[in-house]
Amino acid sequence: MFAAENGLRGDPRLKAISDALSVVPNFPKPGIMFQDITTLVSNHKVFKHTVDIFVDRYRDMGISVVAGVEARGFIFAPPIALAIGAKFIPLRKPGKLPGSIQMQPKSQFYQVDEIMNLCCPGEVISEAYELEYGNDCLEMHVGAVEQGERALIIDDLVATGGTLSAAIRLLEREGAEVVECACVIGLPEVKGRRLLDGKPLYVLVEPRQ
Amino acid sequence: MSTVSKPVPHKFLEARIVSQRYSYSGNSVKSHFFLPYTNATTGRRSSSRREILLIYRGPIGGAAVPERKPLSVVHMASSNVDNKDDRISRISSSIRVIPDFPKPGIMFQDITTLLLDPKAFKDTIDLFVERYKDKNINVVAGVEARGFIFGPPIALAIGAKFVPMRKPKKLPGEVISEEYSLEYGTDKIEMHVGAVQPGERAVVVDDLIATGGTLTAAINLLERVGVEVVECACVIELPELKGRDRLGEKQLFVLVSST
Repeated sequence: MFAAENGLRGDPRLKAISDALSVVPNFPKPGIMFQDITTLVSNHKVFKHTVDIFVDRYRDMGISVVAGVEARGFIFAPPIALAIGAKFIPLRKPGKLPGSIQMQPKSQFYQVDEIMNLCCPGEVISEAYELEYGNDCLEMHVGAVEQGERALIIDDLVATGGTLSAAIRLLEREGAEVVECACVIGLPEVKGRRLLDGKPLYVLVEPRQ
Repeated sequence: MSTVSKPVPHKFLEARIVSQRYSYSGNSVKSHFFLPYTNATTGRRSSSRREILLIYRGPIGGAAVPERKPLSVVHMASSNVDNKDDRISRISSSIRVIPDFPKPGIMFQDITTLLLDPKAFKDTIDLFVERYKDKNINVVAGVEARGFIFGPPIALAIGAKFVPMRKPKKLPGEVISEEYSLEYGTDKIEMHVGAVQPGERAVVVDDLIATGGTLTAAINLLERVGVEVVECACVIELPELKGRDRLGEKQLFVLVSST
């Protein structure tokens, strides 16, 4: 659901956030209008508004975990975590979290639906998800969350929801309860949808034209 | 100079790595995992031949995941900040060391455990904010990706802009880049053209300084466009790698020093 439909209609901060985004055509590939948040975080006032809106929403929800998706989720999630007194958990690309072993060979030996959750014992768990071509993987440290903790997942933008779905699965595998997924920008694919994989989805603005 | 306030038992997690060739869906596949020893030994890292054990959770049944042992927590001395500051002590204890990551012989300083302690994380940010809030800093530059975790909270608290410095091809649009050397080969970091203005005062933030290669590249990038780099700020320093020397005249501020 978009913030404007959920209590923030007419809030001038939403317009400021939208205006602070930049659009870069044909990045990373032809035909994609890339929504660039660097101009937003470069504007202190607007960056603060962005964080404040999320903090106001989540501060009284008993959330003890804020997970951020590498790498742009790392920019928005920690300030939210700090403000609400929650722990921050980075969800990372394969091989980045210490203790992770990048799987060899690569996915050419597996079909997407055959990828088992290959478990690095005691350290890192891994969740595969589909990209337009091929697939990718998201990892989290084992033991970062405890059973029953209430969690938030943050990323800069949601498109198909594939990455967020993988993030939800990772947290649930470790026993967390995912309360909501939140992004600054939501592409048209999510307009009109309140839920992603059964979890509420909260988005501040639509893509800038 | 390093001081340790009280002795802390050091237990290092030792890993056996086993490799196996097995058959999956008719293909021959070689995989490797590391399997922690169930009895962690004290004070030494394994130098014996390593084997890799495959743990595979497949259609035939569940994995036998061995019991996790806690990893070592190496107590590190503080640097640049008053030893008596208990915040430093808590921050320092919350960082864990992971042996042989990303490759054998490297003792990796893992800040993810610091991030799991809300008070330690808040204290980390507060210590940087206290230092920079009255220094007219306009720009906090954070180096991908762990610099993205510490930089933005500092920027927000001191009223500065946050500027991400990224690996090649991640930033859309026009960028400037700076190459730097690695142990083998080179790498590059990039910054958006127009992200900063000449004359602005900047602090560069990363989780850790080792040889200082990345930070030097970041400083160069900023200085090339006329920014004044006031200081580099890191949570951890590895003094044996002499990153501080490599920064030369540039000031370096760290919270903990790991020897």
